Parts: sequence; C-alpha cells; structure tokens
Amino acid sequence: MHGVKRVRYSREALEAKKQKEQAKLKEYLSLNDDVLAKRNAGDWSKDAFDLTTRVLHANAEFYTVWNYRRDILINSIFPNSSPSEVHDRIGDELSVTTSLLKQHPKVYGIWNHRRWCLANIPDGPSDTDLDGWRKTIWNKELYVVEKMLDADARNFHAWNYRRYVLANMPMKRPAQAELVYTTRKIEANFSNFSAWHQRSKVLTSLWEGGQLDPHKSKEEEFDLVKNAMYTDPGDQSVWIYHRWLVGAGNAYDILQREIASIQELLDEQPDSKWCMESLVFYKRLLLRHHARQLSEADRLSLTQECLRLLTGLQDIDPNRRQRYEDLAADVKKIN
Amino acid sequence: MSSSTSKLLIPLHVQYIQSLGESKDDLLYHLTAHLRMNAIYWGLTALNIMQHKDALSRTEMIDFVVSCWDDEAGAFGAHPDHDAHLHATLSAIQILIMQDALDRVDVDRVVKFILSLQQPSGVFAGDQWGEVDTRFLYCAVNALSLLGRLHELDVEKTVGYLRQCRNFDGGFGAVAGAESHAAMVFVCTAALAILDRLDEIDQETLGWWLAERQLPNGGLNGRPEKLEDVCYSFWVLSSMSILKKIRWVDADKLIGFILSAQETEHGGIADRPGDQPDVFHTHFGVAGLSLLGYPGLADLDPVYCMPAKIIERMGLRRDWEALPRKTE
Repeated sequence: MHGVKRVRYSREALEAKKQKEQAKLKEYLSLNDDVLAKRNAGDWSKDAFDLTTRVLHANAEFYTVWNYRRDILINSIFPNSSPSEVHDRIGDELSVTTSLLKQHPKVYGIWNHRRWCLANIPDGPSDTDLDGWRKTIWNKELYVVEKMLDADARNFHAWNYRRYVLANMPMKRPAQAELVYTTRKIEANFSNFSAWHQRSKVLTSLWEGGQLDPHKSKEEEFDLVKNAMYTDPGDQSVWIYHRWLVGAGNAYDILQREIASIQELLDEQPDSKWCMESLVFYKRLLLRHHARQLSEADRLSLTQECLRLLTGLQDIDPNRRQRYEDLAADVKKIN
Repeated sequence: MSSSTSKLLIPLHVQYIQSLGESKDDLLYHLTAHLRMNAIYWGLTALNIMQHKDALSRTEMIDFVVSCWDDEAGAFGAHPDHDAHLHATLSAIQILIMQDALDRVDVDRVVKFILSLQQPSGVFAGDQWGEVDTRFLYCAVNALSLLGRLHELDVEKTVGYLRQCRNFDGGFGAVAGAESHAAMVFVCTAALAILDRLDEIDQETLGWWLAERQLPNGGLNGRPEKLEDVCYSFWVLSSMSILKKIRWVDADKLIGFILSAQETEHGGIADRPGDQPDVFHTHFGVAGLSLLGYPGLADLDPVYCMPAKIIERMGLRRDWEALPRKTE
C-alpha cells in the first residue's frame, strides 16, 4: 500500500466504520464468489462477461478475472461477431481500461489488457483497407498515453506503454516527433528524468539511423543541459544525462571544455555537490583515457584536484562518505 | 521521533503478521486475495528474519499453498481458484522450502510451466497471457535455481535479454528500452548473480546510481528525483550487497528512517512515516534492516530474498556482502 495515511480511530468510530464496511464487504464477496463459480463452470455467457466488468471495477488487480474476461471474448464473443462488431467491442474494451486507468494509473493488469486489445484488432474496415482500423486505433493510443503522462510525468507504466505503441504502431511516427515531445516534457520540468531517459534513447536511434548529425546534435544537447544545470545545479536528472552525453570520454576537447564549464558553475556555487562529483568523474576520465596528451605536471595536478574534491565531498555529502573514500583510494592507487 | 520508534518492535510486528490472517471481516483482506501467496511469503520471511519462524501454523500454511495448485496449468495461483502465475509460483516454492515441504510440489510440471513462459527474446511472461518483464525473468531464474533445474534454462538467451535492459546509468528497466528503476535493478542484478554473470554489469556506474538513491532524510528512492519509500531499502540494498558496495549509503540514517515508518500501536511497517502499514513494507523493511546488520536479526540472502542459512544449506550461496551484524 503506497501513500495511504494512517488514521487513528476511537473505538466507537472504528466500530461505525466496520459497520459501514460490512455492506460493501458482503457485496464484494458475493461478486467474487459468483465470478469464480461461473469461471469454474466454464460459463462464457453475456451475463458472465458483464459480471467481470463489475468485479474489475471493484478490484482492477484481480488478474484471474482479466484472464476470464479475455477467455469469454476469444471463445464466445469474437467467434459470434462480425469483424465490425469485433472492432466495436475492442473499442469498448479500450474505454473500460481508460476509465480504470484514470483511477488506477499504476495497475499492471489494466495496461496489459490494453496491449492485448491492440493485438486483437481485426482486419478492416474493408478488403482494400485491411490496416485501416488498426491505424486509427493505434494512433489514438498516443493521445491517451499523453493524457496519462500529463497527470503523472514519471509514471513508468505509461512511458513503457508509450515506447510499446511507438515501436509497434502500423503507421510509424517520425522519431523526430518524439524528440520534440521529450523537449516539451523536459522544459516543463527539468527534474523529469523519465523524459531525459527517453531522449537518450530517441537520440541514439536518430544518430544511428543517420537522421541527425551526431556532432551538431550533441552540441545542441550540451547547450540544453548547461541551461538546466544553471537553473538548478542540485537536480541529479540533468547531471546523469550529462554523463551520458559525455559518454566514454574519448573526445579530449569536449571533456576539457565541459570540465571548464562545470568549474565555472562551481565557482559560482562553491557547495554544489553535483559539480564536484562530476568534476572528479570527468577528471578521472582524462587521466584514464588521455594520459599521453597530458604532461607529468598536468597529471599530478589533476590527481591532486580529484583528491581535494573528494575530501570536500565527504564533508558536504556525508551519506556517501565511504564511496568518496573508496574513490580517493582508487585515484591514489592508479596515479 | 518518539523513543518508541528508535528500536525494531519485534514482538509487535510478529503479532501484526499473525493478525493478518484473522482480518477476514476486513474488505482490504479480500481485495488483496490476488496477492495472498506473495503476502504469506513476505510474512513468513519477515518472521524468519525476526527469529520467530514458528509464529504461524506450519500445517495450515502448507495446506493453503497446496490448495492454490492449478492442475490445468501445472503451477500455483495466488489463491485457491485463481489462475497459475509465475510470481505466485515462486512464492509457493519459497514458502515450501522455508517450511521444509518441497516434496509437496510436482517439480517436473512446475519446471515445464516455467520454461514454457520464456519468449523468443529471452524475457519471461508471467503467465499464458503474455505480460512480459524482467520481474518474471527473475522469478523464473530464482525458481529454477531453487528447484535445482537451472541447467534446463537457455542462459545465453536469458542474459541476452537482460543486456538489452541495461541503461547508460548502469541500471536496468522492466523491459528493453525502459528507464532504470531500483526494483528492476534488483531483479536483473540478482538474476545475473544466480547465473554467475555479474560481469554483464557496469558495477562502478551502477554502484554510483544506487548510492545516489539515498535522500537527506536517510530513506531511499527508486529513481532520480522521486520520494523515499521503505521498500527501496531492500531493492537498493540487495543490489548493493551483491555488488559489495553496501557501505556506499549511510546505514545509521537508513535504519532510522525504516524504524520511523513503524506503526507503534498495532505493529507493521509502512512505506513512510505516518502511513498505513502492510505486510509488503513490513517484510522489505525488516529485510533492509537485516542487510544493514541490525542487531538480533537473522541474515537475509539478498539474491533469493530468503533466510541466508537455508540458501547456504542448499549450496546456492552467491558472493555477496551485507554489513556485519551489530550487537545490542
């Protein structure tokens, strides 16, 4: 149970609450018994189907009832329906899950049923347009999932569903559109790491597919990140994304430039943990991958700088003191 | 924080777990029937860790587990008359092992059920209806290992899927492409530990990401810029134990946070202070405390999330490191 506040009741209040709950309990138990009895009897009637709707409204996590509902659809309703009726039925199923998702946006079983619906859209509307229904319904899904992400921009069920829709919809949307979407989400809230994560995936595919020039696009990303860093240097989402952008640190010039830029921010915000932590990380990348381009004196000063920052981090971020001690020991050992 | 929450209230939590089976006039009890098998596993494991493993009737428990057998599918459901599911099946196996009653399972049929759920991509479905994610992959790997049948698994295929779920931040998501999440980091890390493939993990990066889950109040969150929650004490700490980096969080502050989420009147632990307790958070809170070396608790195996003694006896112990047990 998540986020349900504890309430203290007096003995009388508790008794009154119990009384009130008894009626609900009785109703639920009778629904529960009915639906399981029908299921055990292999009842695939319209009544049984309607009963599953009622049970799922009372308890959307009842996976056995979702399974039973699909059994009725597959074995009884679909075989006795025209393609057009099946199409309408899928529409009804999607509506049921939409209303349930509004109340329970994090219930796996509802999202799962939605996926199942999409996989069961019949061919049609006509022999010359077999994909028509599929295209229309899948396109609408993006709208639904955007509504869900407007309500909770970090809902990982919704993000996973979004990626599923984008990857499987019959008429693919250009990947650039998804880049625009992540920009919108990030600009609404820099802390939304789910959107930064999605952005890293979208950009990777655009670079690999030759749809964006990686060099130019990375420079734009560095600008975006810098802006976010200056807005809130304490927000870890941005720093994690920055680490992805720098990657293995093979580009010597970029590494040096980013170190200088973070140093500048640190000078303005001398207690910024993320500035310090990132400087240690990038300076160590320099030492690891570019030792030959550095003079002996440079290497020594980078090492000293890392150790000094790690000592500072132990003071301002004591929760992770042991990590900084371990990193310092490592820096000393390697250099 | 009041003085009553500076200690783990073991007798009260034992009573709380005992009382759960007696709340049949409570609507919530029935609304969570689809989690009953898991709830019994959470309760029993917590009791084992609190050294009160006999607080629930062994016979009744075994009878219940057996009554959840779905003979058509050849596996366990979460409740009598509920459909077989991989998650309920793992919990059933874990309960029966803790109760030394594995002989009540038709192992061959269960193994067949589990293996039938692996998809061409290497991931596992939870049941015949095809919902897939890394949680189910872990359930499969864990259960096959406990049943001594891991050799029947296509390891390369399984590891191949986990590799697809790995992100640049070192973590893992629920499916390929998904954002890293501490619970999914646990299932993927523990599955790789069971398969002896921890070399697939960028341990330095993942250790960093995990350490950054600790918030100023000592609690752990599951993703960047999210709220703390007691259950992440286990998801994060188990992964850190497997990577031998559990010292990268402040143990005392985390212990303080878990203890502050205790319900001090009727027992149980909640997701965070002031919330309603439940058996899930009670279990994962106690599990976290065990890994942090809290005095008086038994050792928990972070890979299988079962008492360490049992896993050792079965010869399944992997290389992990929790904090040393403190004395009172």
